[in-house]
Amino acid sequence: MYPISTRGYVAALLLAWALSGCAGAQPQPAPTLYQKLGGEKGMHAIVEDFAYRLADDPELVAFFANTNIDYFVNSLQDYLCVISDGPCVYRGAPMDKAHQHMGIHEADFNRLVDALQATLLDQPISASARNQLLKRLAAQHAAVMRYQ
Amino acid sequence: MASPLRRWLRRLLVGATALAAVTALAMPAQAGSRLLGTGGVTQIEGAAGGGLSPWGVLAGTASDTEVAVSVAASEAWLDDYGLRVRGIGVNWHDRVEVSYARQRLALDTLGGVLEQEIYGAKLRLFGDPLYHPWGSWSLGVQHKRLGRGQALARAVGAEATQGNDLYLAGSKLFFDAVAGRNLLANLTLRSTRANQGGLLGFGGDRDSGRSLVAEGSLGLFLTPAWVVGVEYRQKPDNLGFAEEQAWQDVFTALFLTRHLSLTGAWLDLGDIAGLENQRGGYLSLQLAL
Ligand code: HEM
Repeated sequence: MYPISTRGYVAALLLAWALSGCAGAQPQPAPTLYQKLGGEKGMHAIVEDFAYRLADDPELVAFFANTNIDYFVNSLQDYLCVISDGPCVYRGAPMDKAHQHMGIHEADFNRLVDALQATLLDQPISASARNQLLKRLAAQHAAVMRYQ
Repeated sequence: MASPLRRWLRRLLVGATALAAVTALAMPAQAGSRLLGTGGVTQIEGAAGGGLSPWGVLAGTASDTEVAVSVAASEAWLDDYGLRVRGIGVNWHDRVEVSYARQRLALDTLGGVLEQEIYGAKLRLFGDPLYHPWGSWSLGVQHKRLGRGQALARAVGAEATQGNDLYLAGSKLFFDAVAGRNLLANLTLRSTRANQGGLLGFGGDRDSGRSLVAEGSLGLFLTPAWVVGVEYRQKPDNLGFAEEQAWQDVFTALFLTRHLSLTGAWLDLGDIAGLENQRGGYLSLQLAL
Protein backbone atom coordinates (compact mmCIF):
# COMPACT_ATOMS: atom_id res chain seq x y z
CA MET A 1 0.00 0.00 0.00
CA TYR A 2 1.29 3.43 -0.91
CA PRO A 3 0.78 6.25 1.58
CA ILE A 4 -1.57 8.85 0.16
CA SER A 5 0.32 12.09 -0.54
CA THR A 6 -1.24 15.47 0.11
CA ARG A 7 -1.40 16.03 -3.61
CA GLY A 8 -3.14 12.75 -4.12
CA TYR A 9 -5.58 13.59 -1.33
CA VAL A 10 -6.46 16.95 -2.87
CA ALA A 11 -6.85 15.37 -6.29
CA ALA A 12 -9.20 12.72 -4.85
CA LEU A 13 -11.28 15.44 -3.15
CA LEU A 14 -11.47 17.41 -6.39
CA LEU A 15 -12.52 14.30 -8.26
CA ALA A 16 -15.21 13.49 -5.72
CA TRP A 17 -16.49 17.05 -5.90
CA ALA A 18 -16.56 16.98 -9.71
CA LEU A 19 -18.39 13.66 -9.70
CA SER A 20 -20.98 14.78 -7.19
CA GLY A 21 -21.43 17.97 -9.20
CA CYS A 22 -22.11 15.95 -12.30
CA ALA A 23 -24.50 13.68 -10.49
CA GLY A 24 -26.35 16.65 -9.03
CA ALA A 25 -26.87 18.39 -12.38
CA GLN A 26 -30.22 18.04 -14.13
CA PRO A 27 -29.97 15.10 -16.55
CA GLN A 28 -30.45 16.33 -20.12
CA PRO A 29 -33.70 14.87 -21.50
CA ALA A 30 -33.10 12.95 -24.72
CA PRO A 31 -34.15 15.09 -27.70
CA THR A 32 -37.50 14.16 -29.18
CA LEU A 33 -37.82 13.06 -32.80
CA TYR A 34 -39.51 16.43 -33.40
CA GLN A 35 -36.34 18.19 -32.26
CA LYS A 36 -34.16 15.86 -34.34
CA LEU A 37 -36.23 16.78 -37.36
CA GLY A 38 -35.45 20.44 -36.78
CA GLY A 39 -38.41 21.56 -34.68
CA GLU A 40 -41.02 23.82 -36.20
CA LYS A 41 -38.67 25.19 -38.85
CA GLY A 42 -37.59 21.69 -39.89
CA MET A 43 -41.20 20.45 -40.01
CA HIS A 44 -42.22 23.37 -42.15
CA ALA A 45 -39.37 22.72 -44.59
CA ILE A 46 -40.29 19.02 -44.77
CA VAL A 47 -43.97 19.62 -45.46
CA GLU A 48 -43.25 22.32 -48.02
CA ASP A 49 -40.74 20.21 -49.94
CA PHE A 50 -43.11 17.24 -49.77
CA ALA A 51 -46.04 19.28 -51.10
CA TYR A 52 -43.96 20.30 -54.11
CA ARG A 53 -43.07 16.67 -54.77
CA LEU A 54 -46.74 15.66 -54.61
CA ALA A 55 -47.58 18.46 -57.02
CA ASP A 56 -44.87 17.23 -59.41
CA ASP A 57 -46.14 13.65 -59.47
CA PRO A 58 -49.09 13.36 -61.87
CA GLU A 59 -50.31 10.12 -60.28
CA LEU A 60 -50.26 11.47 -56.74
CA VAL A 61 -51.47 14.99 -57.41
CA ALA A 62 -54.65 13.57 -58.91
CA PHE A 63 -55.73 12.50 -55.41
CA PHE A 64 -55.55 16.11 -54.23
CA ALA A 65 -57.67 17.56 -57.05
CA ASN A 66 -60.42 18.67 -54.64
CA THR A 67 -58.25 19.33 -51.63
CA ASN A 68 -57.78 22.68 -49.94
CA ILE A 69 -54.00 22.62 -50.12
CA ASP A 70 -53.39 25.27 -47.45
CA TYR A 71 -55.55 23.37 -45.00
CA PHE A 72 -53.93 20.04 -45.96
CA VAL A 73 -50.37 21.34 -45.58
CA ASN A 74 -51.09 22.80 -42.14
CA SER A 75 -52.91 19.70 -41.00
CA LEU A 76 -50.14 17.42 -42.26
CA GLN A 77 -47.56 19.53 -40.44
CA ASP A 78 -49.53 19.22 -37.19
CA TYR A 79 -49.86 15.49 -37.74
CA LEU A 80 -46.13 14.99 -38.35
CA CYS A 81 -45.40 17.15 -35.31
CA VAL A 82 -47.62 15.04 -33.06
CA ILE A 83 -46.38 11.71 -34.42
CA SER A 84 -42.80 12.81 -33.71
CA ASP A 85 -43.64 13.80 -30.10
CA GLY A 86 -43.74 17.53 -30.81
CA PRO A 87 -45.78 20.15 -28.91
CA CYS A 88 -48.70 20.39 -31.34
CA VAL A 89 -52.34 19.46 -31.60
CA TYR A 90 -53.67 17.56 -34.61
CA ARG A 91 -57.29 18.52 -35.30
CA GLY A 92 -57.81 16.55 -38.52
CA ALA A 93 -59.60 13.28 -39.00
CA PRO A 94 -58.09 9.96 -37.90
CA MET A 95 -56.08 8.26 -40.66
CA ASP A 96 -58.73 5.74 -41.71
CA LYS A 97 -61.49 8.36 -41.96
CA ALA A 98 -59.19 10.95 -43.55
CA HIS A 99 -58.48 8.63 -46.48
CA GLN A 100 -61.66 6.63 -46.85
CA HIS A 101 -62.89 5.71 -50.35
CA MET A 102 -60.09 7.51 -52.14
CA GLY A 103 -59.22 4.37 -54.08
CA ILE A 104 -55.61 4.39 -52.88
CA HIS A 105 -53.66 1.38 -54.17
CA GLU A 106 -50.50 -0.04 -52.68
CA ALA A 107 -48.71 1.48 -55.66
CA ASP A 108 -49.94 4.96 -54.66
CA PHE A 109 -48.97 4.41 -51.07
CA ASN A 110 -45.49 3.32 -52.10
CA ARG A 111 -45.11 6.30 -54.42
CA LEU A 112 -46.01 8.62 -51.60
CA VAL A 113 -43.52 6.98 -49.24
CA ASP A 114 -40.85 7.21 -51.91
CA ALA A 115 -41.59 10.93 -52.34
CA LEU A 116 -41.43 11.45 -48.59
CA GLN A 117 -38.14 9.60 -48.36
CA ALA A 118 -36.75 11.80 -51.13
CA THR A 119 -37.89 14.87 -49.19
CA LEU A 120 -36.26 13.65 -46.01
CA LEU A 121 -33.02 12.83 -47.83
CA ASP A 122 -32.84 16.46 -48.93
CA GLN A 123 -33.20 17.83 -45.40
CA PRO A 124 -30.27 18.41 -43.02
CA ILE A 125 -31.37 15.60 -40.67
CA SER A 126 -29.74 12.37 -39.54
CA ALA A 127 -30.42 8.96 -41.09
CA SER A 128 -31.81 7.91 -37.73
CA ALA A 129 -34.35 10.76 -37.61
CA ARG A 130 -35.34 10.10 -41.21
CA ASN A 131 -35.85 6.38 -40.71
CA GLN A 132 -37.58 6.83 -37.35
CA LEU A 133 -40.15 9.11 -38.96
CA LEU A 134 -40.63 6.63 -41.82
CA LYS A 135 -41.09 3.88 -39.27
CA ARG A 136 -43.85 5.75 -37.44
CA LEU A 137 -45.61 6.60 -40.70
CA ALA A 138 -45.27 3.08 -42.11
CA ALA A 139 -47.16 1.89 -39.04
CA GLN A 140 -50.14 3.96 -40.25
CA HIS A 141 -50.43 1.90 -43.45
CA ALA A 142 -53.19 -0.34 -42.16
CA ALA A 143 -55.29 2.64 -41.02
CA VAL A 144 -54.83 4.61 -44.25
CA MET A 145 -55.73 1.56 -46.36
CA ARG A 146 -58.62 0.38 -44.15
CA TYR A 147 -61.51 1.80 -46.19
CA GLN A 148 -60.11 1.83 -49.73
CA MET B 1 -9.17 -14.96 -64.57
CA ALA B 2 -8.56 -11.65 -66.30
CA SER B 3 -9.68 -12.72 -69.74
CA PRO B 4 -12.93 -14.53 -68.80
CA LEU B 5 -13.72 -11.54 -66.63
CA ARG B 6 -13.19 -9.19 -69.51
CA ARG B 7 -15.24 -11.36 -71.85
CA TRP B 8 -18.03 -11.51 -69.30
CA LEU B 9 -18.00 -7.79 -68.74
CA ARG B 10 -18.08 -7.18 -72.49
CA ARG B 11 -20.99 -9.50 -73.06
CA LEU B 12 -22.76 -8.00 -70.09
CA LEU B 13 -22.18 -4.51 -71.36
CA VAL B 14 -23.65 -5.29 -74.76
CA GLY B 15 -26.70 -6.88 -73.20
CA ALA B 16 -27.08 -4.14 -70.64
CA THR B 17 -26.84 -1.40 -73.23
CA ALA B 18 -29.42 -3.03 -75.46
CA LEU B 19 -31.81 -3.53 -72.56
CA ALA B 20 -31.26 -0.09 -71.13
CA ALA B 21 -32.01 1.38 -74.54
CA VAL B 22 -35.21 -0.63 -74.84
CA THR B 23 -36.15 0.37 -71.30
CA ALA B 24 -35.55 4.04 -71.88
CA LEU B 25 -37.31 4.15 -75.24
CA ALA B 26 -40.21 1.80 -74.83
CA MET B 27 -41.28 1.94 -71.21
CA PRO B 28 -40.15 5.16 -69.53
CA ALA B 29 -42.72 4.91 -66.74
CA GLN B 30 -42.70 1.16 -66.18
CA ALA B 31 -40.54 1.06 -63.06
CA GLY B 32 -42.47 -0.13 -60.04
CA SER B 33 -43.23 2.07 -57.07
CA ARG B 34 -41.99 0.05 -54.10
CA LEU B 35 -38.99 1.49 -52.32
CA LEU B 36 -35.69 0.81 -53.98
CA GLY B 37 -34.03 -2.42 -52.91
CA THR B 38 -37.15 -3.92 -51.33
CA GLY B 39 -37.36 -6.48 -54.14
CA GLY B 40 -33.82 -7.65 -53.47
CA VAL B 41 -31.75 -8.80 -56.41
CA THR B 42 -31.81 -12.04 -58.42
CA GLN B 43 -30.50 -15.05 -56.51
CA ILE B 44 -28.63 -17.86 -58.28
CA GLU B 45 -31.83 -19.84 -58.90
CA GLY B 46 -33.59 -16.91 -60.55
CA ALA B 47 -35.93 -15.87 -57.72
CA ALA B 48 -35.92 -12.46 -56.08
CA GLY B 49 -33.62 -12.67 -53.11
CA GLY B 50 -30.05 -12.15 -52.11
CA GLY B 51 -27.29 -13.96 -53.94
CA LEU B 52 -27.90 -17.44 -52.53
CA SER B 53 -31.36 -17.40 -50.96
CA PRO B 54 -34.83 -16.56 -52.21
CA TRP B 55 -36.55 -13.89 -50.12
CA GLY B 56 -40.16 -13.31 -49.09
CA VAL B 57 -40.50 -10.37 -51.50
CA LEU B 58 -41.12 -10.56 -55.24
CA ALA B 59 -38.90 -9.37 -58.09
CA GLY B 60 -38.43 -5.73 -58.93
CA THR B 61 -40.44 -2.93 -57.37
CA ALA B 62 -43.90 -3.69 -58.77
CA SER B 63 -46.90 -2.96 -56.53
CA ASP B 64 -50.50 -4.17 -56.74
CA THR B 65 -51.25 -2.47 -60.06
CA GLU B 66 -47.88 -2.97 -61.73
CA VAL B 67 -45.81 -5.58 -63.53
CA ALA B 68 -42.04 -5.79 -63.25
CA VAL B 69 -39.56 -7.76 -65.30
CA SER B 70 -36.00 -8.27 -64.15
CA VAL B 71 -33.10 -9.93 -65.90
CA ALA B 72 -29.81 -10.77 -64.29
CA ALA B 73 -26.39 -12.02 -65.25
CA SER B 74 -24.23 -13.42 -62.48
CA GLU B 75 -20.83 -14.99 -62.28
CA ALA B 76 -18.88 -16.65 -59.47
CA TRP B 77 -15.18 -17.35 -59.59
CA LEU B 78 -14.32 -20.14 -57.16
CA ASP B 79 -11.02 -21.91 -56.59
CA ASP B 80 -11.84 -24.93 -58.76
CA TYR B 81 -15.11 -23.93 -60.39
CA GLY B 82 -16.75 -21.13 -62.28
CA LEU B 83 -20.49 -20.57 -62.05
CA ARG B 84 -22.50 -18.55 -64.52
CA VAL B 85 -26.18 -17.78 -64.09
CA ARG B 86 -28.62 -16.05 -66.40
CA GLY B 87 -32.03 -15.38 -64.97
CA ILE B 88 -35.29 -13.66 -65.71
CA GLY B 89 -38.21 -12.99 -63.39
CA VAL B 90 -41.63 -11.47 -63.86
CA ASN B 91 -43.56 -10.00 -60.98
CA TRP B 92 -47.31 -9.70 -61.57
CA HIS B 93 -49.01 -7.22 -59.25
CA ASP B 94 -46.69 -8.04 -56.38
CA ARG B 95 -48.64 -11.27 -55.99
CA VAL B 96 -46.99 -13.87 -58.23
CA GLU B 97 -43.45 -14.17 -59.47
CA VAL B 98 -42.42 -16.56 -62.22
CA SER B 99 -38.78 -17.02 -63.05
CA TYR B 100 -36.39 -18.96 -65.18
CA ALA B 101 -32.68 -19.43 -64.66
CA ARG B 102 -29.87 -21.27 -66.39
CA GLN B 103 -26.86 -22.28 -64.39
CA ARG B 104 -23.61 -23.37 -65.91
CA LEU B 105 -20.87 -24.73 -63.68
CA ALA B 106 -17.45 -25.08 -65.29
CA LEU B 107 -15.35 -27.75 -63.58
CA ASP B 108 -12.02 -26.00 -64.05
CA THR B 109 -10.00 -28.60 -62.15
CA LEU B 110 -12.01 -31.79 -62.75
CA GLY B 111 -12.83 -30.94 -66.35
CA GLY B 112 -16.26 -30.69 -67.92
CA VAL B 113 -19.39 -28.62 -67.56
CA LEU B 114 -22.67 -29.04 -65.66
CA GLU B 115 -25.82 -27.26 -66.70
CA GLN B 116 -29.12 -26.84 -64.94
CA GLU B 117 -32.40 -25.14 -65.75
CA ILE B 118 -34.65 -23.83 -63.00
CA TYR B 119 -38.30 -22.91 -63.43
CA GLY B 120 -39.55 -20.98 -60.45
CA ALA B 121 -42.82 -19.63 -59.12
CA LYS B 122 -43.42 -17.66 -55.96
CA LEU B 123 -46.72 -16.62 -54.46
CA ARG B 124 -46.84 -13.80 -51.93
CA LEU B 125 -49.16 -15.07 -49.23
CA PHE B 126 -49.52 -11.88 -47.21
CA GLY B 127 -47.77 -8.86 -45.84
CA ASP B 128 -45.34 -6.22 -46.84
CA PRO B 129 -41.70 -5.85 -45.80
CA LEU B 130 -42.25 -2.23 -44.71
CA TYR B 131 -45.81 -1.98 -43.48
CA HIS B 132 -46.82 -5.34 -42.05
CA PRO B 133 -45.61 -6.11 -38.53
CA TRP B 134 -44.61 -9.62 -39.67
CA GLY B 135 -43.14 -8.55 -42.99
CA SER B 136 -43.83 -10.20 -46.34
CA TRP B 137 -44.28 -13.98 -46.60
CA SER B 138 -44.19 -16.06 -49.75
CA LEU B 139 -44.42 -19.67 -50.81
CA GLY B 140 -42.17 -20.77 -53.65
CA VAL B 141 -41.38 -23.74 -55.81
CA GLN B 142 -38.36 -24.39 -57.99
CA HIS B 143 -38.40 -27.12 -60.59
CA LYS B 144 -34.83 -28.03 -61.45
CA ARG B 145 -33.62 -30.09 -64.38
CA LEU B 146 -30.06 -31.06 -64.89
CA GLY B 147 -28.95 -30.84 -68.51
CA ARG B 148 -25.31 -31.48 -69.27
CA GLY B 149 -23.66 -33.48 -66.54
CA GLN B 150 -26.39 -36.02 -65.80
CA ALA B 151 -23.89 -38.84 -66.12
CA LEU B 152 -21.58 -37.20 -63.63
CA ALA B 153 -24.41 -36.71 -61.13
CA ARG B 154 -25.32 -40.38 -61.41
CA ALA B 155 -21.71 -41.43 -61.17
CA VAL B 156 -21.27 -39.67 -57.82
CA GLY B 157 -24.37 -41.36 -56.42
CA ALA B 158 -27.29 -39.05 -57.18
CA GLU B 159 -30.67 -40.77 -57.54
CA ALA B 160 -32.32 -38.34 -59.91
CA THR B 161 -31.46 -35.61 -62.35
CA GLN B 162 -34.47 -33.47 -61.65
CA GLY B 163 -36.18 -32.31 -58.51
CA ASN B 164 -38.49 -29.81 -56.92
CA ASP B 165 -37.64 -27.46 -54.08
CA LEU B 166 -40.44 -26.00 -51.99
CA TYR B 167 -39.85 -23.05 -49.75
CA LEU B 168 -41.46 -20.58 -47.44
CA ALA B 169 -39.69 -17.23 -47.16
CA GLY B 170 -40.26 -14.13 -45.07
CA SER B 171 -38.67 -10.70 -45.33
CA LYS B 172 -39.01 -7.77 -42.97
CA LEU B 173 -37.44 -4.35 -42.95
CA PHE B 174 -36.65 -2.94 -39.53
CA PHE B 175 -36.48 0.85 -39.65
CA ASP B 176 -33.84 2.75 -37.69
CA ALA B 177 -32.39 -0.56 -36.48
CA VAL B 178 -28.60 -0.25 -36.48
CA ALA B 179 -26.85 3.13 -36.30
CA GLY B 180 -30.07 4.73 -37.56
CA ARG B 181 -30.07 2.53 -40.66
CA ASN B 182 -32.76 0.12 -41.87
CA LEU B 183 -32.13 -3.60 -41.59
CA LEU B 184 -33.68 -6.17 -43.91
CA ALA B 185 -33.99 -9.62 -42.36
CA ASN B 186 -34.87 -12.72 -44.37
CA LEU B 187 -35.66 -16.24 -43.35
CA THR B 188 -36.27 -19.15 -45.72
CA LEU B 189 -37.27 -22.73 -44.96
CA ARG B 190 -36.77 -25.09 -47.86
CA SER B 191 -37.65 -28.69 -48.49
CA THR B 192 -35.18 -30.14 -50.99
CA ARG B 193 -33.31 -33.21 -52.20
CA ALA B 194 -30.81 -31.19 -54.24
CA ASN B 195 -27.10 -31.89 -54.04
CA GLN B 196 -25.11 -28.65 -54.34
CA GLY B 197 -28.31 -26.89 -55.33
CA GLY B 198 -29.06 -29.57 -57.93
CA LEU B 199 -25.87 -29.32 -59.96
CA LEU B 200 -24.90 -32.74 -58.57
CA GLY B 201 -28.38 -34.16 -58.96
CA PHE B 202 -31.06 -34.98 -56.40
CA GLY B 203 -31.09 -37.48 -53.56
CA GLY B 204 -28.17 -39.80 -52.98
CA ASP B 205 -26.77 -43.01 -51.64
CA ARG B 206 -26.44 -41.59 -48.13
CA ASP B 207 -29.86 -39.94 -47.99
CA SER B 208 -32.48 -40.16 -50.68
CA GLY B 209 -35.33 -38.25 -48.99
CA ARG B 210 -36.18 -34.62 -48.59
CA SER B 211 -34.40 -32.44 -46.08
CA LEU B 212 -35.77 -29.34 -44.42
CA VAL B 213 -33.07 -26.69 -44.49
CA ALA B 214 -32.91 -23.10 -43.23
CA GLU B 215 -31.52 -20.08 -44.99
CA GLY B 216 -31.13 -16.59 -43.66
CA SER B 217 -29.71 -13.24 -44.47
CA LEU B 218 -29.34 -9.79 -43.00
CA GLY B 219 -28.82 -6.69 -45.08
CA LEU B 220 -28.16 -3.24 -43.68
CA PHE B 221 -29.11 -0.31 -45.88
CA LEU B 222 -26.22 2.10 -45.35
CA THR B 223 -28.12 4.44 -47.65
CA PRO B 224 -31.51 3.83 -49.29
CA ALA B 225 -29.61 2.60 -52.36
CA TRP B 226 -26.71 0.72 -50.83
CA VAL B 227 -26.97 -2.44 -48.76
CA VAL B 228 -24.31 -4.63 -47.15
CA GLY B 229 -24.96 -7.95 -45.51
CA VAL B 230 -24.40 -11.61 -44.87
CA GLU B 231 -26.14 -14.76 -46.05
CA TYR B 232 -26.25 -18.35 -44.91
CA ARG B 233 -27.80 -21.32 -46.68
CA GLN B 234 -27.98 -24.76 -45.15
CA LYS B 235 -27.90 -27.72 -47.55
CA PRO B 236 -28.63 -31.43 -47.41
CA ASP B 237 -25.72 -33.86 -47.39
CA ASN B 238 -26.96 -36.78 -49.49
CA LEU B 239 -23.91 -38.10 -51.29
CA GLY B 240 -21.54 -40.61 -49.76
CA PHE B 241 -18.56 -39.75 -51.96
CA ALA B 242 -18.07 -36.21 -50.68
CA GLU B 243 -19.37 -34.06 -47.87
CA GLU B 244 -21.48 -31.00 -48.51
CA GLN B 245 -21.53 -27.94 -46.27
CA ALA B 246 -23.60 -24.81 -45.91
CA TRP B 247 -23.06 -21.92 -48.30
CA GLN B 248 -22.35 -18.47 -46.97
CA ASP B 249 -21.33 -15.06 -48.17
CA VAL B 250 -20.90 -11.41 -47.39
CA PHE B 251 -22.42 -9.15 -49.99
CA THR B 252 -23.01 -5.59 -51.02
CA ALA B 253 -25.57 -4.37 -53.52
CA LEU B 254 -25.85 -0.99 -55.13
CA PHE B 255 -29.17 0.10 -56.58
CA LEU B 256 -27.88 2.57 -59.10
CA THR B 257 -31.33 3.40 -60.45
CA ARG B 258 -34.75 1.74 -60.40
CA HIS B 259 -33.58 -0.11 -63.49
CA LEU B 260 -30.07 -1.13 -62.62
CA SER B 261 -28.39 -2.82 -59.67
CA LEU B 262 -24.99 -4.30 -59.12
CA THR B 263 -24.20 -6.94 -56.50
CA GLY B 264 -20.80 -8.11 -55.34
CA ALA B 265 -20.10 -10.85 -52.84
CA TRP B 266 -17.42 -12.97 -51.29
CA LEU B 267 -18.59 -16.58 -51.27
CA ASP B 268 -17.63 -19.49 -49.08
CA LEU B 269 -19.33 -22.56 -50.55
CA GLY B 270 -17.47 -25.18 -48.54
CA ASP B 271 -16.35 -28.40 -50.23
CA ILE B 272 -17.77 -29.20 -53.67
CA ALA B 273 -17.40 -32.69 -55.13
CA GLY B 274 -14.44 -33.44 -52.93
CA LEU B 275 -12.55 -30.25 -53.68
CA GLU B 276 -12.19 -28.39 -50.43
CA ASN B 277 -12.93 -24.83 -49.34
CA GLN B 278 -14.40 -23.34 -52.47
CA ARG B 279 -14.21 -19.60 -52.01
CA GLY B 280 -14.24 -16.70 -54.39
CA GLY B 281 -15.84 -13.59 -55.73
CA TYR B 282 -19.32 -13.09 -57.14
CA LEU B 283 -20.69 -10.35 -59.34
CA SER B 284 -24.23 -9.90 -60.51
CA LEU B 285 -25.86 -7.27 -62.61
CA GLN B 286 -29.61 -6.86 -62.68
CA LEU B 287 -31.79 -4.84 -64.99
CA ALA B 288 -35.40 -4.18 -64.10
CA LEU B 289 -38.15 -2.90 -66.31
C1 HEM C 1 -48.75 6.98 -43.78
C2 HEM C 1 -49.30 7.53 -44.81
C3 HEM C 1 -50.13 8.80 -44.76
C4 HEM C 1 -50.26 9.73 -43.77
C5 HEM C 1 -49.60 9.75 -42.42
C6 HEM C 1 -51.19 10.74 -44.26
C7 HEM C 1 -51.57 11.86 -43.54
C8 HEM C 1 -52.57 12.71 -43.93
C9 HEM C 1 -53.11 13.79 -43.12
C10 HEM C 1 -52.64 14.14 -41.72
C11 HEM C 1 -54.08 14.40 -43.81
C12 HEM C 1 -54.97 15.55 -43.35
C13 HEM C 1 -56.28 14.96 -42.85
C14 HEM C 1 -57.16 15.97 -42.18
O1 HEM C 1 -56.75 17.09 -41.95
O2 HEM C 1 -58.32 15.61 -41.90
C15 HEM C 1 -54.15 13.73 -45.08
C16 HEM C 1 -55.02 14.06 -46.08
C17 HEM C 1 -54.97 13.53 -47.35
N1 HEM C 1 -54.22 12.45 -47.75
FE1 HEM C 1 -52.93 11.43 -46.64
N2 HEM C 1 -51.57 10.39 -45.51
C18 HEM C 1 -50.95 9.23 -45.85
C19 HEM C 1 -51.07 8.55 -47.05
C20 HEM C 1 -51.75 9.04 -48.13
C21 HEM C 1 -51.76 8.43 -49.43
C22 HEM C 1 -51.00 7.15 -49.79
C23 HEM C 1 -52.54 9.20 -50.24
C24 HEM C 1 -52.86 9.03 -51.68
C25 HEM C 1 -52.02 8.63 -52.55
C26 HEM C 1 -53.04 10.28 -49.42
C27 HEM C 1 -53.87 11.26 -49.88
C28 HEM C 1 -54.46 12.25 -49.08
C29 HEM C 1 -55.40 13.23 -49.55
C30 HEM C 1 -55.92 13.35 -50.99
C31 HEM C 1 -55.73 14.02 -48.47
C32 HEM C 1 -56.66 15.22 -48.45
C33 HEM C 1 -58.05 14.79 -48.15
C34 HEM C 1 -59.00 15.96 -48.25
O3 HEM C 1 -59.00 16.67 -49.24
O4 HEM C 1 -59.74 16.16 -47.29
N3 HEM C 1 -52.54 10.16 -48.16
N4 HEM C 1 -53.23 12.70 -45.11
